[in-house]
Parts: sequence; structure tokens; C-alpha cells
Amino acid sequence: MLLNAQMGGAEQFTVPVIYYTLPNGLRVVLSPDHTAPTVVTALYYRIGFRIEPKDRTGFAHLFEHMMFQGSRNLGKMEFIRLVQQNGGILNGSTRFDFTNYFEVLPANKLETALWAEADRMKGLAITDENLKNQQGVVGNEVKVAVLNQPYGGFPWLWIPQYANTNWYNSHNFYGELKDIEAARIEEVLKFFKTYYAPNNAALAIVGDFEPEEAKGFVEKYFGPIPKSELPPVPDLAEPRQEKEIKAERKDPLANRPALAFAYHMPPRNTPEYYAMGLLDQMLVQGDDSLLYEELVKKHGYAGSISGGINAELGDMFDYDGPMLWSASLIHDASVGADQIMSSADSVIDSLQSKPVEQKLLDRNRIKMRSYIYDSMTQYAGFGRANMLACFALFDNDPARINQLEAHFNSVTPETIERTAREYLRRTNRTVLVWEAGAKASAGGAQ
Amino acid sequence: MILRLCLVACLACLAAFGQQKEQPPEGGPPRPFHLPPAQDFTLANGMQVTLVQYGIVPRVAVRAYVNAGGINEAAHQVWLSRLTGLLMKEGTKTRSSEQLAAEFADTGGSLEIEPGVEFTTVGGVALSDHAGQFIKLLADVLENPSLPASQAARLKADLARELAVAKTQPDDLARERFLNTMFPDSPYGRVFPAESDLKGYSAEDAAAFYRENFSAARTHLYVAGKLEGNLRETIRAAFEGWSKGAETASVSANPVKARSFAVIDRPDAPQSTLYIGLPVAGPNNPDYIPLDVMNTLLGGSFASRITSNIREQKGYTYSPRSQISTRTHLAYWVETADVTTSATGPSIKEILYEIERLRKEPPSEAELKGIQTYLAGLFVLRNTISPDAVIGQLHFVDSQGLSRSYLSEYVQKVMDVQPAAIQAVTEKYLLPDKMAFVIVGDKAKIAEQVKPYETATP
Repeated sequence: MLLNAQMGGAEQFTVPVIYYTLPNGLRVVLSPDHTAPTVVTALYYRIGFRIEPKDRTGFAHLFEHMMFQGSRNLGKMEFIRLVQQNGGILNGSTRFDFTNYFEVLPANKLETALWAEADRMKGLAITDENLKNQQGVVGNEVKVAVLNQPYGGFPWLWIPQYANTNWYNSHNFYGELKDIEAARIEEVLKFFKTYYAPNNAALAIVGDFEPEEAKGFVEKYFGPIPKSELPPVPDLAEPRQEKEIKAERKDPLANRPALAFAYHMPPRNTPEYYAMGLLDQMLVQGDDSLLYEELVKKHGYAGSISGGINAELGDMFDYDGPMLWSASLIHDASVGADQIMSSADSVIDSLQSKPVEQKLLDRNRIKMRSYIYDSMTQYAGFGRANMLACFALFDNDPARINQLEAHFNSVTPETIERTAREYLRRTNRTVLVWEAGAKASAGGAQ
Repeated sequence: MILRLCLVACLACLAAFGQQKEQPPEGGPPRPFHLPPAQDFTLANGMQVTLVQYGIVPRVAVRAYVNAGGINEAAHQVWLSRLTGLLMKEGTKTRSSEQLAAEFADTGGSLEIEPGVEFTTVGGVALSDHAGQFIKLLADVLENPSLPASQAARLKADLARELAVAKTQPDDLARERFLNTMFPDSPYGRVFPAESDLKGYSAEDAAAFYRENFSAARTHLYVAGKLEGNLRETIRAAFEGWSKGAETASVSANPVKARSFAVIDRPDAPQSTLYIGLPVAGPNNPDYIPLDVMNTLLGGSFASRITSNIREQKGYTYSPRSQISTRTHLAYWVETADVTTSATGPSIKEILYEIERLRKEPPSEAELKGIQTYLAGLFVLRNTISPDAVIGQLHFVDSQGLSRSYLSEYVQKVMDVQPAAIQAVTEKYLLPDKMAFVIVGDKAKIAEQVKPYETATP
């Protein structure tokens, strides 16, 4: 109560959450919002790029592309045309712990979207030619995002590869081109059969619909799909890091050096996890953040600093396994990485040696609250669907969305200090020095 | 090998003979969409204000569009508007830069200043219960920036670093050359400053730029989201003392419509970055909506012809797209794509093939209908997807001098476009022998492939 008063006594926005599971294991979350006559349909499968065949890096992502190449009743391009011709947009993405597919359509087309998603959950109808085509497309995606860009994949693709020791967390998840090109259609179909089943998925519907009607559609189209026997989840754990890791990588396309540093996160949903969420706000989010003031304003090392939890691939609410908090900046060659790290440490050390000021903590709680509301608003409610589907898949509890603020409110200055001491330890971090200009050896610095 | 062939054959069997394909359910009748109501008023000093009550999540987007930016820079002042924008974040006459950042953060928002070609936007998104305070802080930034000379050297170094990085990015290089070619000797064509110019800018120059270009008469403030309290009164009190200032001088753009061809060498590049396009009719021209529909069908959507061809059939590229980019009373059409180096010539061939095809024959009614329905759905999303999207739509019509009825009539006008009109605007505007071609790629590897496109084919 006291904490609420400190936050200005503002009324919390409560997200409607209707949650149930079909007999075949599909987790369903409904969240009506009648602001506009649109509806988001988001289907999340609990298979991310961590878990892909070891000799097929990038396979989970290549597979995501294949989900657009044809199903029992929709041929190649027909899924895309169906959504587009009904006035909607669609996409899919592959992340650490899930692969998602979503459509935003006029509200009266909810049934159409559910029918189409169920159709491709039932089975793929793809050809070698489709696969070859998407290997070309994905190869070009890797080129445009990584191989032909200065700072390509910096730091989001690279820093997990240095910071983690478990293959599932430390391989190149965009994929080596040779692995992407080597994939065969029977591998695609096997991957589908293994992971694309109702008991490995969560469906979130957000927008202008009537829950009873939506339940009927869900039952009609997803109810008959049989569940499957899921393989055991491999051990994804990372050991406690005891020694600082320093890595260097040469970027032949970059003309200014860059620097990234990352720390392993506390386990999800612990008091320390919520404290790290607030530490992230304090350290790098916004012009008022401590590292921005130190590195950008005071020393002028860089024009900006970016970072976060699960940075560039999501946020602190949409992953399940081991994770990093990271920060990065591009700087001039006249300043060394050690000098920048020494300034950063002066800020981080101060959080470890005394409790944070209440005013600073309160400010960052407000920023977090605003961030959560922002996520909920994004993309006609897709951001809300993203949180609901993840909380259903990872915690079997999408109503958690309404408890987040309370968790952040219960973080005390002591929790912040304790969390900073254990998780912002130098021996828990990886520093990646990104060298500009020099010709890289074939395999990079790995 | 045998296994694979068998599998494909079996799947084909199933589709052809095993069962009839199901048709997708139509869904229910469309639900009505009403644009969120906008409340407009003008302060005595000429500043325009628009409030839009929208949504249920307690956040409010606040954006001041100041008619100031690249068009107000002289030829040797490129990015002076950006230096001015950066300096405006460095405090006001009564607030230090740290205080300013902290006070903005206390509203759940942060100050964002984005200098563009024609408009600088100043604003952010705050929690609803702090929106009034956000507006007061915003007024202080716009009316009383301290523009401290002490920070100029650091901010110029930041801009110099950003410039150096941009010059290594293929998309930036291609865009710069493309705009230079289409808008020679015009601020619309100046993308990057010369490093030597940038080094010479001073805080004084920025202060002069601010004095000449930031004022009430050149500002339209948009506020959208879940609005609480009397924001109208807050806005009046915060901004009524701001000086009126002078109107923006109009800038002539003189876009060039002529065939040109440029290759920027990027040795060892695994892809070629393509920009192919030319000026077309702007938003005030009756052809603009048919052009918009045509663009969506040709290359502006996932299921469009060029994307289907070079991505989904050929696998040459990941992210091809065509777009119509607008400035005030101006527009240009451009197809952009990053294509595999060995497919550079073939990609251009297919892009031109799709343009020619649409120039020669109208699309089927069914194909056009699909695009029209897509645009109608997209229109709802553009007006609702977030509070900032609502603002973007309103600013578009206001800045183009269009009536707000443009928005309410848009869907009907899109639906009224006939197949023959699509062919007609393609034929009239997408003239391959008047297009600018820019390619950033490995010159040695692509020279032979692109040779046929160096000059216009008769």
C-alpha cells in the first residue's frame, strides 16, 4: 500500500485474462479489448533456436520460414494471400525459447485466422523446391543482417556465443550458411512432427471478439488435432560463472570499434530477477540512466548506449532458459575498451556497495510500469498477446501479467544491492571487444 | 534421394486425389470502424493542437511537429538541424540536462527529438496520470532551451562518429546516392554532411537555427491516448507565451525524372543493394490513391508481384519492397532490395519485367480486390495500432494540406480504383527509361551482369 502511494497512487491497468487448456494440451488465452475492430491471433510453439539439431545451426529459424510454404489446404503463398486479402498482416519469428506465428486482422476474420493456423498445425505440404527457395531467402536474411553489415549481429548474435558454455545457449542460432544449405526436407518434416503439436503450444487471442464465440472456433478447429509425445527437454543450464571472460572479434566492415558487456541473469521470477529488471532501467534505459550519464554525457565515449535483458530479441518477459543482461556502444579508436569499462565499473560498483536511493528506485519503477504498458499497446495488442502466450507456455499462468507491477513494487533497496553484488559481479561477465577495420580470419575470433 | 522423391510425389497425390481442399471460413460481417474523434484548436500565437482520446491502456503520446529540419539548412549546413536537436536535450534556462532527463523519466516517458527533412518532432510517450507534467516539460524544452556551448564539441564528435559508421552501411550509401540523383541541389537530396562542414558548426549556429525555425506558428502539437484531466487547459497555459515566429519559407525540390545508373563499389560484398525508382505524383494529386494501390500490388506487400517473384519464387533476396515515399506535395516510388551478388542482374531483370507487365496489362479483378481489401484493413491498423500511429495519420493529412475527410473517404476511394486505372498509372508514372538505378555491390563481380541496364533500352 505504502509503495503504491509512492508510485503516485495511480490505478493499475488490469488486463482481462481468460485461460483454459484443451484436452489435447493446447493452452488458450483470451483477452478482449474493444478499442478497435481488429483482432490478434498469436500461436506460440515451445521450440526456440536453443534446441535445434547440433549439426544444423539455424534450423529452427529456417523451419519457421517453411511454415509459410504450404499446409493441407493452403498452398505456397496462399496463407499469406489469405491474410492479406482479408485486410490483415502476419509474421513469424524464432527466439530463444519459442517460435511464434501471428496475424492481425479485422475482427470479423478471427475464425478465418484460427482455421488457417489450425490447418498448418495439422500438417505441412511442402516440396524440395519450396525448401531450396527458402534456403535462398534465409541465406539472404543472414547476409543482410550479418554478413554484409558492419556490426552485423553485434552484440545480440555474438555475445551469447562467448558468454555461455552449454551448446544449446552458445551456438550460432542464425546459422552457418553451410548448415542452412545442408538441410533436407525429411529433417523439416521430422522437426514438425516432433515439436508442432497442440500440447507444445499456446494460442493467445487479443482484441475485439466475444469470448464464447472464440472458444467455439478454437474447439472446432484445434480440438480434433491429436497431441504428440514430446521429447525430453535437454539440460539448458549454465554453470555459475566464476571468472571474467574477455573476447575479441574483428569486423572487416566496421570503421569504429565497439564494446559490449554482458552478465548472466538471476533465475526467472525470483526477487533478484525483478531487481535486475529495475537495475536494467537504472543502468541503460533512457537519458536519465546511470551508464548514459557516465559514458555518454560525462565522458563522451559514445552518442548512445543500448542494452537490456534478452536485448534485441525480446525483453525480460519472453524467454525461459538462461539469459544475459547486456549493454553495448560504438566508440572512437582514441578511447580504449579498458578505459570505458573502468568508467562503467565506477557506476556498477556504487550499486554494490550501498542501498540505492529511494527516489532513484521509485523513478525506475515508474519507467518499468510505463514500459510494461507500452509493450501491451504495441502493434494493436500483439505485445499483450506476446506476454500472455509466453506466460501460458513458460509458467502455465498468463494472469501473471497483472502481478508484474506488484513484484516490481516489492523490490527493496536491499534486494537491488544484493542482486548487483551477485549478478553484476565482474566474474559473472563477458566483455566483447569489437575491433574495427582489420581483415578477419575465416572463422572470426572464435 | 528415392525417399525424397517418393515423399514429394505422395504429398502431391494426397492434395490432388486424396481429398477435396477445404475452403477457409469467410468469418462474420465486418464490424464498423470509426476514426477516433479528434479535437482541434489553435492558440492565440498560432500553435495548432489536436487531442485524440484513444485506447484503454493508460499512456499518452505527445508529439510536437515543428516545421523545421533539413529543408531549412543551407548547402553547407547539412545536419545542423540534428546538432540543434541534440543541444535541445541539454537543458533549459531553469533545468540542467540531468534534471530534465530525470523529470521526464518521472512521467514514465523520455524526451525524444527527431529532426527530419521537413519536420522536427519533439515529444515522447508518458503515463496518463503524468501527461500534464510531460506537456509542461515539453513546453520548457521548446520555448527555453539553453543550447549550451559547453556540450557542442561532444555532440559534434557523436555526429561525426555516426557519419563515419553510416558511410560503411550499404543501405545508407545507396539511399544517399539515390536521393542526390533525384533531388540535385536541393535539401531533399542532401543526406549526409561533408565531415569538414560538420566540424565547423558551432553552438552559435545551432542557436541561430533554433531562433529562426522553432516557434509557435510553425508547430502542431498532437496528443493521443487515454487522456485524463483538462489537458487542453494545461496546453494553453504551457504554450500561450511562446513567440509566434515566422512561417516556413517554401523550398523548391525540382525532382529529376531521368534515366541514370550508378554502381558504388563494395569489394567482397555478398549482396548488392538496389535502389530503383523515380518521382511520381504527390498526395494532392488525384492519381495518388491509384498509385498507392498499384504500388501495394506491384511490390509493396508480402504477396505482391515483385516480392513473390524475386523472393518466393527465385530466393534472390530476403526483404525486397517497393514504396511511395512522400514529402510535402511530392512523392517518389522506389523498389529496394538486398540481393545475392550472383543474382544482381537477374533481380533487376525480374523487377523490370514485373513493371513492364503491369504497364502492359491490367491486373485481374480478383488480384486487385485482394489488394484493395488489404489496404482497407491496413487503414484501420494504421489508425489504431498505437497512439503514435494515430498521430502519424493525422499529421500526414494536415502537413499535406489535405482535408481530414481524406481519412474518412480513403477506403472508399481505394475500393473504387479499377483494374484499368492501375495499368494507366503504371504506364504514366513507372517509366523504366526515366528511372534512377543505384547499386551498391562488388563491382568486379556484377559488372557483366548489370551491363544491359547501364543505359535505357529503346
